[in-house]
Parts: sequence; C-alpha cells; structure tokens
Amino acid sequence: MKKHYKYHLRHQTSKPFLITSFLILFSMPFSEIMASKNYFTFQQKQAEVSGVVTNLKGEPLPSVSVRIKGSSSGIATDANGKFSIHASQNATLIFSFIGYENTEIVLNGRSNINVTLIEKIQELDQVVVVGYGTQRKVDVTGATASVKGEELTKQSVLTATQAIQGKVAGVQIISSGKPGSSPVVKIRGTGTALAGTSALFVVDGVLTDDISNINTADIVSMDILKDASATAIYGARGANGVIILTTKRGENGKMKISYNANVGFREASNLVKMANAAEYANYASTASGGSIPAGAVSTDWYGQILRTAWMQNHNLSLSGGTDKSIYFLSVGYLTDEGIVINSKYDRITVRSNNEFNLSEKFKVGTNVSFSNGYNQDVNLGTAYNNAYRAAPIIPSKIDGKYGNTSVYQNVGNPVLDIENNDNLLKDNRLQGNFYAEYQPIKSLKFRSSLGGDWLNANNRVYNQQFNNDLTTFITSGGNQRNPNSNLTMRNTETFRWVWDNTITFNHQIDKHTFTALIGTTAEKYSQTWFSAFRKDVPANQDLWYISTGNANTSTNDGSGDKWTRNSYIGRVNYNYDDKYLFTATVRRDGSSRFPIQNRWGYFPSLGAGWVVSNENFMQEQSVFKNLKLRASWGIVGNDRIPSDAFTVTITPNLAYPYGGGIATPGSAITQIKDPNLKWETTSELDFGLEFGMVGGRLQGEINYYNKKANDLLINVKVPSVAGDADGVVLTNAASISNIGWEFSLNWRGNITSDLTYKVGGNVTFNKNSVIGLNGGQPILDGGIGANQTYTTKTDNGQPVGSFYVLKVLGVFQNDSEVENYKNTQGSTIQPNAAPGDFKYQDTNNDGKIDDQDRVFAGSYQPVAYFGLNASLSFKGFDLNLDAFGNAGNQVYNGKKAFRQGVLDNVESQMAYTRWTSANKSQTEPAANGGNLPASTYFIESGNFIRLNNVTLGYNLPSSLVKKAKLSNVRVFVTAQNIFTYKDFSGFTPELAGDPTKSGIELNAYPTNKTIAAGLSVGF
Amino acid sequence: MNRKILIIGFSVLTFLGNISCKESFLDVPVQGQGTTATDPNVSQNLVNGVYNSLLAGEAFGSEGDIHGISFISATNIISDDAEKGSTASDQPGIGDIDNFNVTPTNGFVAALWNGYYNGISRSNQAIAALESASITQDVKKQLIGEVKFIRGYYYFNLVRIFGKVPKVLRVPKDSKDANTDPAFQTRASVDTIYKVITDDLQYAVDNLPIRTKSLVGHVSKGSAQTLLAKVYLYQKNWQKVLSLTQEVINSGQYNLATDYTTLWRQVGDNNIESIFEVQTGQFNNSDLGIQNYCTWQGPRVGGKGGWTDLGFGFCTPTQNLVDAYEKGDIRKSSTIISIDNSGKYRGTTLFDGFRIPSSDSVQNLYYNYKAYHSENKTIETFLGNRDQKQKNLHLLRYAEVLLMNAEAANELGQTGVAQTQLNKIRTRAGLTNTTASSMTDLRNAIWKERRVELALEHDRFWDLVRTGRAAQVLQATGKKFIAGKHELLPVPSLQIALSGGSLDQNSGY
Repeated sequence: MKKHYKYHLRHQTSKPFLITSFLILFSMPFSEIMASKNYFTFQQKQAEVSGVVTNLKGEPLPSVSVRIKGSSSGIATDANGKFSIHASQNATLIFSFIGYENTEIVLNGRSNINVTLIEKIQELDQVVVVGYGTQRKVDVTGATASVKGEELTKQSVLTATQAIQGKVAGVQIISSGKPGSSPVVKIRGTGTALAGTSALFVVDGVLTDDISNINTADIVSMDILKDASATAIYGARGANGVIILTTKRGENGKMKISYNANVGFREASNLVKMANAAEYANYASTASGGSIPAGAVSTDWYGQILRTAWMQNHNLSLSGGTDKSIYFLSVGYLTDEGIVINSKYDRITVRSNNEFNLSEKFKVGTNVSFSNGYNQDVNLGTAYNNAYRAAPIIPSKIDGKYGNTSVYQNVGNPVLDIENNDNLLKDNRLQGNFYAEYQPIKSLKFRSSLGGDWLNANNRVYNQQFNNDLTTFITSGGNQRNPNSNLTMRNTETFRWVWDNTITFNHQIDKHTFTALIGTTAEKYSQTWFSAFRKDVPANQDLWYISTGNANTSTNDGSGDKWTRNSYIGRVNYNYDDKYLFTATVRRDGSSRFPIQNRWGYFPSLGAGWVVSNENFMQEQSVFKNLKLRASWGIVGNDRIPSDAFTVTITPNLAYPYGGGIATPGSAITQIKDPNLKWETTSELDFGLEFGMVGGRLQGEINYYNKKANDLLINVKVPSVAGDADGVVLTNAASISNIGWEFSLNWRGNITSDLTYKVGGNVTFNKNSVIGLNGGQPILDGGIGANQTYTTKTDNGQPVGSFYVLKVLGVFQNDSEVENYKNTQGSTIQPNAAPGDFKYQDTNNDGKIDDQDRVFAGSYQPVAYFGLNASLSFKGFDLNLDAFGNAGNQVYNGKKAFRQGVLDNVESQMAYTRWTSANKSQTEPAANGGNLPASTYFIESGNFIRLNNVTLGYNLPSSLVKKAKLSNVRVFVTAQNIFTYKDFSGFTPELAGDPTKSGIELNAYPTNKTIAAGLSVGF
Repeated sequence: MNRKILIIGFSVLTFLGNISCKESFLDVPVQGQGTTATDPNVSQNLVNGVYNSLLAGEAFGSEGDIHGISFISATNIISDDAEKGSTASDQPGIGDIDNFNVTPTNGFVAALWNGYYNGISRSNQAIAALESASITQDVKKQLIGEVKFIRGYYYFNLVRIFGKVPKVLRVPKDSKDANTDPAFQTRASVDTIYKVITDDLQYAVDNLPIRTKSLVGHVSKGSAQTLLAKVYLYQKNWQKVLSLTQEVINSGQYNLATDYTTLWRQVGDNNIESIFEVQTGQFNNSDLGIQNYCTWQGPRVGGKGGWTDLGFGFCTPTQNLVDAYEKGDIRKSSTIISIDNSGKYRGTTLFDGFRIPSSDSVQNLYYNYKAYHSENKTIETFLGNRDQKQKNLHLLRYAEVLLMNAEAANELGQTGVAQTQLNKIRTRAGLTNTTASSMTDLRNAIWKERRVELALEHDRFWDLVRTGRAAQVLQATGKKFIAGKHELLPVPSLQIALSGGSLDQNSGY
C-alpha cells in the first residue's frame, strides 16, 4: 500500500514542479537585471531634517518609520509624532506605518517638513472569500469584487443585495420594493433564460437562492464572483455568478456590545397620474360613443390603495472571545408596514456564530441563524391592474360600503380586492453550518462542514364572504362577490443539507507559494407541502382554522420535491514572488435533475495574473502604485430547473362523473417533456487590468468579458396541436452571447487635513445577443391579456426577449389618409380604420396588417449600466451619495396594453394628448377602448438614473463618548431613492422577469422612497 | 511526517468519496407525481381523462375551451339565434365573433384551437396506452372505441370551425418533434379530416355496445351511429344518413321524452332521448361541470340592480329566434327566459321559484333557459361552485335522429317517412302536423324545425353553413357576413407564428 501511495504522490506532483521550474528559469535573470539599477546611486551632502507626522485628523502618529530611500538607515517618530534624521539635501524620505500608505517626500533642500499620512486603502492586502476558501485580493486571477458589511448597513434596505445596487461594475440589481422580496441579481448580462437568472448565494458555506432571512447587520463581507474562472468552483451553479456572504465572528478580547437602529417612513416614489373624473368622463364618452357624466366624486385609485408606511430596524449584538473560543451573538428586529394598505412585514433574526479551539490543531465552530418572518401579503397583482382600469367616477368606499366598479365596467373595486382577502405568510428558517478544522501542520488543513437550511412556511389565506348587494356596495350588481367565505391553510417544509469536505495544502519554497485544494461535496434538498381548504369559515379571526368551516366543502392537496447533487472540486493556486499568479480549478458535478446520460459534467477554469507593479523595473516609477493584469477562462453551468423536467408524469384528478353523482377519477398526460435535457454551459473569457495611481489614491479596474451560454434551458412555446396544456416545454433551446466591458474608478483625496472625500464610479457596457436556437423556432413570449398573445421574440442576432411588435407610423388624420394608405399593389391597407386610429407599417407589403408585419423594436437588455458614488467627511461628519442607472434599453408599457374596455380609465396624459379633430396628434390615438395590438406605441425608453441613497452621519467626539462610558456613538439620517430621472411614463423602469419577457410593466410593485434616521452605539 | 499526513489525507478523501459518489445518490425519482409506469390502471384512467376534456371551458388560459364560452360564441352567438348579450363593453372579443369582425388574434378563437387539440392529444395518449395495455381484447376495443368517438367528435367540431386543420393522430416525442414534424405544422385538407372522422366513428360503431349494455354516461353504439349520421349529413350522403338513423330508431334504445320542458333540467339527464351527453356531477367535495357554462349565460343584473344575479348575461336569444316559434309551441318558454318588460313589475319566476326582477333591474331582455341550473339545492344538485354547475350538455338526442331521418328521407324522395318523423317532433311541441308536401317545402320545414327544436343547442350556425343559407339568412339580420370568408373562423395568429408561417390562413382573413 505504501508503495502505491508513494508512486501516486510523485506522479501527482511532477507537473507543478515542471511548471515551477520553468517559471523560475524565466523570471530570475529578469529580476536580477532590474535590481542592478540600484547600484547607480551616489553620495550627497548630509543635513539635519525634522518635522511632525500626523494623520488626516491632525493627530500625531508615534512610531512611524522614517527612512532614507536607497539606504537602510532609519528612525521612528516619538510619542508626539516628531522625528529628526540626517539626510542629504536631495534625499527622498520614506514614511511608513502599519495601516497607512507609504509616503515618499523629496527634500529639495528643506530641513523642516510636516507629513500627513493617509490611511491605507485595504483593497490589495485585503483577504477576499472565494469558493471553499479565502485568498488575498492580490492573488485573485478572476473577476471578483468585495463589499464590506459597513457599506451595506449604511442604507435602510431590506436585503443586502439591494444595498449594492450600482456599487459593483458588471452587477445589475433589479429590485422590487415589495417587503420581504429578494431583488434579482444579474451579473454580466442575461446569460440564462429560465427562472434561475439570479446569482447563487453562499451564506457561510450554505448554498441558497434567497437571502431575505439574513440580517444585513450581521454581514461582515459580501464577495461577488463575476467571471467563469471565479465561479467554476461552483460548477453547475455558477453560470449566473456567485455572491458569498460571510457573517460576523467574535474577536479575541473583551466583550463588545453594539446597538444600531433606524426608524423612518416609506412611500411610493413615483405614481402614474390617472385621469380624474372630468378627464375620464370626457375620454370615455368619446370612446364609448355615449355620454358619461363626471359625477360628484373623483377617485384616485392608487391613492386609495397606497399609503405612507413606517419602518423600523433594530439590531443588538455582542461579541468577544478568549484563546479557547470566540463568539458573536446578535438579535435583529425589522418591521415594515408596506406601502400598500393592509400589508405588513416583520422579521426577527437571531444569529450565533461560535468557534472553539479544542487544541492548537483542531477547532470546531458553528454559524447558525434563525429568522422568523411575518408577512401580511396583499393581492396586489389584481388590485394594481384594477386600480389602473377602474373609473374615477366611482367612489372607493363611503360609510363602509364600496363603490361598485364591477357593475359599472366589469373591473373589481381595487380597495375591496385587497380588503376582502387576508393572506398571511409566517415562516421560520434555521440556517447554518457546523464545521471542524484539523491542521496537523501549518501547511495542511482538513475541513469538514455540514450545512443545513430548514424552512417551515405557513400560509393562511382567508377570503371574506360578501355579495354584490347593498350590504357591501353602494349600488348592487356586478360580478365582484364571494358567496361563501373560504380558508386555505398551507404548510411547506423544506430542508436541505450540504456537506463539504476539503483538504487545503499550502506550501512556500523561497518565492514560490502553492495552495492546493481538493474536496467533495454532496447536497440534498427535500420539500413537502400540504394544504387544506374549507368554505363557510366565520369572519371572526379567532375562528380562522379549518375545523370551523363546512366539512362538506373540505378539500386538501399536497406534494413534494427532492433532488440531489454530488460534486468533486479541485483548485491549485501558484504565486511566484507576488508577481506571477496562476489558478486552475475543476469541478465535476452530478445532478439528479438531469436524465442519467446527461447527469455529469466537468467545469474547468484557468486564470493567470501578472502583478506588474511588483516587478523590480517598476520600483523606480511613481505613476502606478499597483498594476495588475489578469486573464482567465472557465466553463460553468446552470442546473436550476424543476426536478420533473425530463420525466413524463401523469396529471391526476381529471375526473368524469359518468351518469352524474360522484365522479370517477381520471388522468392525462398534459405536458410534453424533453427526455434529453442537459444543463446549460457558459464559457467565459475575461481580461482584467487593475491599477492604483497617485500613491494609491486613484484605484481603477477595467475588465473585458466574452461569455457564451449554450443550450439555454428555456420554456419554449409549442404549437397547440402538440397537446401541451400550458403550451410551453422546457428544453435546451438557445445560445446567448454577452460581451462587455466594465470600468470602475475610485478617487480618494483630501482638501484640508480635516476634509476628505471619495468619488467613484463604474460603468458596464454589455452586448447581449442570441447566437443560436438549437435548430428550433424563435421563441415568442410576453403575452399580455387576450389580445396581445406575444410581444417579444427571441431570435438569432437579437438580444434575448427583444420586443417584436407592429410599427406605428402615425395617426390617421382624415378619411382620405385612410383611403390613400395603400401597398404597392394599390390595395388599401387599413380599410376599416377611422381618423384617429393608428397607422401601422405594412412591413411585408401584402396589403393588410397582421402578425407578419411585426418588427424588432429594442429589448430590455441595457447597453450600459452604471453607478456613481461620492462621500465627504469633515471631522465627525460624513456625507455619502450613491446613484445608479442604465441606458439604451426599452420597456413595454404592459398596463396600458392591458386596457380592454371603453369604460377603462386612462392616464391623464392620454386624456389630454389624444387625437381629436381639433388636436391632430401624430402619436396618441383617438379615445378608444384599448384592445390594441402590440405595437411600438407601448414601447418606451428604459433609460434612468436614480439618486439611490444620501446619508448624513455624525460621530460624536470621542472625548464626549468616553465620558458616557461608550466606545462610539454615531447618528445619521438617510434618504433612499429620493429622486429618479427616467423617460418611462410608468411606475418604474426597473422590471425583473424571465429574460424572454423581461421589461414588461404589468403590475410592478411601486418602488418606494425611504427617509430614515438612525443611531448606532458601541458599548 | 509529511508523507504520513498525506496518506491520512488521501484516506480521508477516499472515505468521503465513497460516501458521496454512489451513483444511486443521484437517482431521485420525481416526487408526488405518477408516471405511466407507476399507475397500474393507467389506460382506464387515461380514458376517463379523455372524457374529462369534454368539460374544458377555459377561454383565457392555454388549456383551452371545448364546451365553454368560446364554443358558445362560435355556435350560438355567431348565429341568428343569440347575440353577445351582457353589457356593450364586456368581452369585445365575443362581440367580434357575433358581428363577424373577428381577427386571427381573437382570444376566444385561440381558446377553441387550444382546447380541441388538447382534447385530441389526450385521446391520442389514451389510444397509445390502450394499445399496449394488458387487458382483454373486448375491453380494449370498447375503450378505444369510446376514445375514438370523442376524437372524431373533436375533429368534426374543428373542421366545422376552421375547415382545414392539422391531422394529428399521434403523440409528439418532445418539443423538437412537435416543432418540426409537418403533421404538426401544416393543415390537412377538409376531405382528409372527414376521413379521420368517419374512420374513428366507424370504429366506434363497430366496437361499442348498445346503450343498455354500456354504463350510463359512456358513449354507446347509438351515440356513434348518430354522430356518424350527422357527419354524413354534412356530406349530403343521404343514403348513409337514412340507414344509420334508421338503425338507431330500430335499436329500440331511444325515444322522444314526453315533456320537452324538462329535457334540459337535471331531471332530464340521461333520459330516454339522450344519445350523447356531457356528464356533470361532483368531485373533491365540489361541483364538477363545464367550466362556467352556466355562469357565462346566467341572467345579469343591470339598471337599478337590487338583486344577486346569476351570471354574466352572455348568449342572449335574439328577437329573431323568439319570433321563429309558431304560436303554441311549448318549446319557446322552455328555451328562452323572457324578462318582464311589461312595466307591471311582475318579474319572471323560473321553474325552481327563483324570481328575476323586471327589465329595469336586469341587463338584457332574454336569456338562455337551457343554460339555467337551479341554485335551490332541493330542486337540483348544487354544492356552491357557480363556476361548474351540474348542467349536462345534451349534444345528441333522439329528436335530432328523427330530424336527420326526415331530411334524408325527403332528399331521397320518401316524403311520407319525412312527414311522419317531422310530425313526431311537432306533436310533442304541441303543434299540428306539417302542411309541407313538396320536397322543397318539406326541406324548408325540416330546417325550420331543426332551428326551434335544437335552439341554443350549438347547431344553428353550422346548420346554416351546411345548408348553404348562412350568407342569405345572416345578412338578412343585418350581420356583416361575407360569403366565402365567414363560414369559418380564422386560424389563430399565434399558431401560425409558432409554425414559422407553415400554417396557412383561411381565405379573407
């Protein structure tokens, strides 16, 4: 046995040794020559030079090393920051101090100099988290970014991802303002098409898609892995990028207690102005050809269902430790009323992170979080659509009775839509891991980590009984009614575990540093749910349990899900003298979600980096403080599809009551499945340049990426004749390319020693295009209501989900224009049109307007998206500003397209600008009842820039704080999302959604603005 | 030292590898969903699932509509028997069908296409499963016969709605198959589709037992003979119509029910006259019926309001239909709910005692009585689910056999037979014998009798097209019917787009 292993080891190590030898041979002479430059310095006249070294706050710095460049002699500053040294008149002094930037001063004959040292920007020395380990930022060869916890807590947002909106190049965050919802995170364009567009989250090693349970205040860092070489270690789950969250740990030392809180209010930041009663009456009278009186009321339906909402967030934590153990314990409470009436979101989180050193070589630890969510949800989709359509001449509610919009125009009263329905979702989630680390020698570490994520969600939906009579409504009738109250209880339990086992080997020989990682991981997910339903449950909330309902009406349901993954991972890092970096990773992934023949895949990556600034020849120049070039390549996958996607299953309970009475159960195969499903693979090439200039004050990064996602898993529409009940089949249907550039630049400077500032910005240019359809048809999607069966087409050469609609050429002004609008054969194209109707382009010149005349009209995929940030700090005060936006994309005004009746309300602007014989508009048609075909009329620019956050903070002076026996006190006010400049006339141009139908505003939750004040105290 | 540790390391990894690399760890069957392999009774269940598709009526989803509002629109509302009804602004798409403004993007037309092909797909699935099922030959043939009857019926409706349609008699393997096989992408000729229909129905005729030997609610030999006769009626194959209807008559399994007024009430379900009837009942503690069949057609509140209405008020009988009944015809009051418009505010009391207020509180003047189902649980079964009231849909009944027999006999010169059969229908309706005696007069008399006897039973529009009278009759009522175009509805534009343009459109659209 021994012999076998020995042979095996030699075999294993031989290749790296060859590579190493080659690199050494190559680099040695080069560095020798560069180093020889130092021999050309010569002696000069000596003099006494003295001064004081202070920091930016003007505080003297003791023990700063002061050294003459080119010599080894040096001294240190005294307790008052003073120094005195013998140096030649033209000498250069180098001041260095831990945590501060090295500063070089050329004396130029001066004998007295005062020096201000600037705190070091940690970026390069900082340790970043990569998959299954950490690395120094400088060693990373892929495209990554890291955001510190304190950056996240500056904003009063609900989830951590929202706080990085606009902060990181290449990362696009599309957030809905809905309490408790998770924003969509898109990294480097839309590379995948199905539900799994969002990045993978890894919370202390636990893989998850949802981090709404994580208290932002508990996060120490958020590391974003952007390119395939960085995410390949996550193999089949890496295609959309990976965001790794690391939560706080205690530190060896005395107990620290900290408390922070913020309290504020939210309201909808932007509303669409609907026609008031008079405008509506005028428009609808024309549209319907009748005479509609404006009446006495003018209801603002959005105003009726929206409100100003209070929110609060409190966090208390304590941490500390000894040689034997460290601990961190925190409690958080968040409450958000929600800007829609009747909604509410509460969350309590508890976290306990502990680590125990059992011996010098062995330690164990846990990171555990518990969260309890209470989400009073509302039926916003329906209510929001209805609020857009409901006539303003109908009152919302008078003396407890509702205005009957349904009898008037067949649209439900939006307020009643919300108030008749009570939808409470309570969830408990326990998430965490247990790990053990054994380090027999310094260079070798075994780690085993068992993570778990348990979620129990209880959903209670109660629908009140009401009739379309005078008890409920001001006038009776209509179809908004619910003759029997009903209650649905649903319980979902989800559990997943993931077990990672890794061995990390670390070795340094001279200037060669190797790190190798090998490991296995296994993961299992299971879910069960069941629901119960009864009618005639009393209205008293204390009786909202299944037992109180009519047993003759009871029904129940339930099902489950289960899947597994199994993977092997390996990674090698090599660093020569902090100059040449090399990384290779491979992951072999197996997933139960694919048929047996397509179950396993390999996901390799390679990366190389050259830290140019560490070359000897760079030591003499002062332009670049740091300069690094990177190149990497990798392949990653995406397996986020339903577990039943390739198995033909039977739909049960399609019963038939032969001869009446109790029906005989039956079943059908209603879904076509693709038995050869395989996972999406994305290959990505990445080049990067990182630099620091002006003594590190200016930091910049440029990245180029070329990403090809093949075999995208897409729900493809199939012809109805195929007999698929929902008309769509999940299959590997297309390939998409994303090519882009990312630029980011950050400057840190000071105006006086008290007044410092930072400005930064980033921009990403991305070109998305479909490069193949796997032999299938173009994908049609984005249907709106009954009359616009599709609005997008995903086709070769176009961005994914491109809008594909009729082109509006203008508005017919008179009968003769209608008459004279002919194709080249002379047939009148729109013979049934009337003046005031749209004139559509007859693209195929066949003399009629139909689907064959549709044209591509842009897509939701932005050409560029960007972020800007600035901060200013003066003594104890600090001011931060953040903005972000995107440009070059289109959005589809789906709510306008959904209009489907002559009595539906219209936007105020439509009422004013509509075509009339007196107002010859070329863009707005005459009053109409909706039901218009999909056309460029509904497409608007998606450009926007949003002032996302403004925060003003004040740190109380330490003298004052110490008197109160505290360690620090900070107060702040913050405003979130207070101003947006946008072209779009709807609520928000930030519209998440499946890629083949993204950018359609149908019932978007209104983005909100928040103004809050906060306090943070350290004890 | 180092070597020892590495050995430990490899051992640990090997150990861990062994735990996780077992292939079976990744063999996770789908949870909570059966497959054809896990259901021992799959073929019988799939047949029940085919019958279940008769209840489809989803006008707004992709699942589609077989006997719901889209079907009601394409048969009754489109004809001169009924109009859209409801309020002027409600569901303009149905109004477009009513007024022959229909375009290829019409959602209700799309729902029909989807519904019928989903039903055909279920039939194809069931036939495939039955062919390989280990059940006795007799049972197998009978079950295949039942399924083929339903598939033939679906194609018969499709060919009457759209004319040429794709001929799909098999299950696609996957989406690529569905997206590329020409059978799924192009329309077969009308003759080809009629061949599919007659083949399916002939198989059913040959393999189904007569009514008394089959279970209630299942299709029987008589159902297949009647439908096949009707198919031949559309092809003017009078001899076949005559012989098939005569076989049904001679089978002794059917007769006219004595009371026309109860035909469409629950007491009339599966009565002596019933030949093919969509069954309703209950399932999962709730009503199980055709999706919203009653609700769409239920009387609707309007004007002053003040009462809890019964539905959305669609498919309202026309004055033209009201006027078509002869004096004393008892069928009129059992087909049409007339709202009190006398100004005396008496209201209208229905058979179960339900009182509809007079016209100032009601949206429309007439409603379809054949779609009324009582919510009074002592009169008819009702578990509270208005969307799926237990209203059986009588698709083929003995009266139509007599009328087809009469029409074929007349065309073949057997005037006496024709008169006799026609008079049976008239007698039950409380009318005197027909006075028509020439072939033309008698033909017109039979056609007229078909209209009133089968009013609002989804026959009229196709009957007008069949007999070549559609343009003349419908234009006379003021409808913008264009001959050569409006006999058929347009192929849904989405389907044409999904075929990459291979599906062609009906002329004029």
